[in-house]
Amino acid sequence: MSTGRDNRMLRPLAVAALVLGILAPFGGSPYRARHGAIDVAALAHTVAREEDHVTALELAQWIKDRRPGLRVLDVRSAEEYAAFHIPQAEHMPLDSLTAIAFRADETLVLYSEGGTHAAQAWVFLRALGNRNVYFLRGGLYEWLEQVMNPTLADTSAGGRAAFAHAAVLSRYFGGVPRSDLHIRPSDDDAIRLPKRGDSTQSAVPLPKHPVADRLLQVRRRGC
Amino acid sequence: MRTPGRAYANPYLAGFALGVVLLAAFVTMGRGLGASGAFASSAAGVVSAVAPARAAANPYFARYLGGSGPWLDWLLIEIAGVAIGGFLSALVAGRLRVEIERGPRYTARSRLTTAFTGGAVMGLGAVLARGCTSGQALTGGALLGVGSWLFILGAFAAGYAVAPLVRREWV
Amino acid sequence: MSAPFFELGYFGDGTGLLVALVIGVAFGWCLESAGLGSARKLAAQFYLTDLTVFKVMFSAVITAMLGVFWLGRLGVLDLSRVYVPETYLLPQLIGGLVFGAGFAIGGLCPGTSCVAAVTGRLDGVALVLGMWSGVLATGLGFPALQGFYESTPRGALTLPQALHLPYGVVVSLVVLAALGGFRAAEWLEARPRAALAANHSESRATSRSLAGGVQA
Repeated sequence: MSTGRDNRMLRPLAVAALVLGILAPFGGSPYRARHGAIDVAALAHTVAREEDHVTALELAQWIKDRRPGLRVLDVRSAEEYAAFHIPQAEHMPLDSLTAIAFRADETLVLYSEGGTHAAQAWVFLRALGNRNVYFLRGGLYEWLEQVMNPTLADTSAGGRAAFAHAAVLSRYFGGVPRSDLHIRPSDDDAIRLPKRGDSTQSAVPLPKHPVADRLLQVRRRGC
Repeated sequence: MRTPGRAYANPYLAGFALGVVLLAAFVTMGRGLGASGAFASSAAGVVSAVAPARAAANPYFARYLGGSGPWLDWLLIEIAGVAIGGFLSALVAGRLRVEIERGPRYTARSRLTTAFTGGAVMGLGAVLARGCTSGQALTGGALLGVGSWLFILGAFAAGYAVAPLVRREWV
Repeated sequence: MSAPFFELGYFGDGTGLLVALVIGVAFGWCLESAGLGSARKLAAQFYLTDLTVFKVMFSAVITAMLGVFWLGRLGVLDLSRVYVPETYLLPQLIGGLVFGAGFAIGGLCPGTSCVAAVTGRLDGVALVLGMWSGVLATGLGFPALQGFYESTPRGALTLPQALHLPYGVVVSLVVLAALGGFRAAEWLEARPRAALAANHSESRATSRSLAGGVQA
C-alpha cells in the first residue's frame, strides 16, 4: 500500500483547496468579458477608413456565396423581425447581443431599420473584442433599395454594369430590379422646396422616388 | 487467495486528476465531459439508419442528426476514449478479468437482469435530466449550475432510498 | 483572454474531436484507476461502506470549480464562453431521482459502465445495453414527455445567481462542504463492519473467500 506516499501528495492538494476556497470570496468576479475596452483611436480610425460597414449589395453577395462564419443579426424588435427580415438573419435584440459570446472566426453583420441601432451595436461588439463586425449603414431601407428594388439611375457604362450586377443579386433574393424607370423631374405631385435665397419660391421639384412607397410600408418604429 | 491486480489509486488523487481533465476540457473546448449524450447520439444514429423519416421527425433524436452527424458527435468520440483509457488502465494494473460482479447471495443471471434494468432506468433519468453523473454532476456541478446540483441531490437521495430494497444484490 | 481555445477559434472541429479522444482516454483512465469500473465498489457507496464515489466525484468537482474560478478571475479563461448546462428545475430533479434509483439497482453509471464493460465485466456490458435501450425507448416516446421535459426552464442559471451570492462565496461554501464531507466519509469508512468492497486488495481477497467465491 502506498498510503504514505499518497498522503504526502494529498496534503499540499488539501491545503491548496482550502486556501483557494477561502480566498475565493475576496477574489471578485470570475467573469471578465462583459466589461468592454474601447480603444477610441482605433475605432475612430476604423470608421474613418469605412471598414466598419458593408453595403447591402456586399451583404447580399456574402449571403449568396454562403460565406463561412457569416451571421446576419437583426437588432430590431421581435414583431419587426417577424414581419420582415433579411434572409439568413437571426433575431438578436441589443440586450442579448452583449450577452452572447461570438467566435473569432465568425463574421457579424448587424442591421436595424435605419442603421442607428446597428451602428451602436457595432461599437458594443467591437468594445467586447469582436473584430469582424460590420453593419448596414442605411439599415433595412438600404437593403430594400439596393437589393430588393435596385433602379437604374446612372446610365453610363459603369452604371449599367453595376445595375446588371445588382439585378442578378436582386432576383436571387426575390427582388424586382427596375431598369425601365428613369428618375426625372415631373411637375405633378412633386415636392416643392424653396430655392435658397429665392424669395419668389420658384422651387426645384424633387422627383417622386418609386421605391419610397415600398419603404414607407416598413413600419417606422425606431432606429 | 490474493485478488489479482494492483491496489486502486487513492480516491482523492484520482478525483483531483479527474478534475484536472475536466478543467482541461473547459479550457480547450469550452465544454465539459459527458456520457449519456453519447448513448443518445448513437441511438439517434441507429434510428436514422433504420427509419430516417422517423428520426428526423422525432424532436429528441433530430438534434443529433445535424452538423457533422451523430457518429462524429463530440461525446461519442469522447466515450470511445473513455473505453480505451479504462482498458489501458486495467491492462497496466492487471485488473482485466471476465466476471459478473455481484453480492455473494445473488446469481449471475439475476445480476445481468438487474444490470440491464438499472441501465434502462438510468437511460430515462439521463434523458430527462439532460445528462448523467459525468455531464450533470461533474460538469454542471463544477460550473455551479442549479439544475445540475438538483440532479446531484436527487440522484444521491434516490440511490440511498432504493439501496435497502436491492440489498441482496450486493451484500 | 486566451481560453477556451476552441471557442476563440484557435482550432477547428477535426482537432476538437481529437481533443475529445484524448480527454476521454484520460477520463477513462482516472475512473478505472480509482476502481470505479467495479459495480460492487460503486454500489457500496449506497451502503456507506465504501465512499470512493463521493470522494472521487467531489474532489473532481472542487478541483475543476476552483480552476474555473481562478482562471476566470485571472482573465485567462473567458467564463462566459464556457457552456453551462441549462437548468430545467423539475425534469432535472425528477430525472436525478430516477437516475439515482437506476444507479442503485444497476451499480454503475453510464461512464463507468463503459469502463466496466471494456475491462471484462459482463454486468457492465448488460448495463450498457440496458442504458442504450432505455435512452432509445425514451427517445422514441419523447413526444409524450416533451411537455414535462421542457417545463420550468431557467436558462443557464448558476447557484450564485439563484442565491444572490457572489460567485466566490459559493465556491468557498462548496469547498468547505466538500472537505467536511471528506472528513465524514473517512469516519464512516473507519467504522468496523464486514468488509464489502474496501480499498485494499488484501481485505478484498478476505471478503471474497468469506463469501465463498462470487466470480462467474
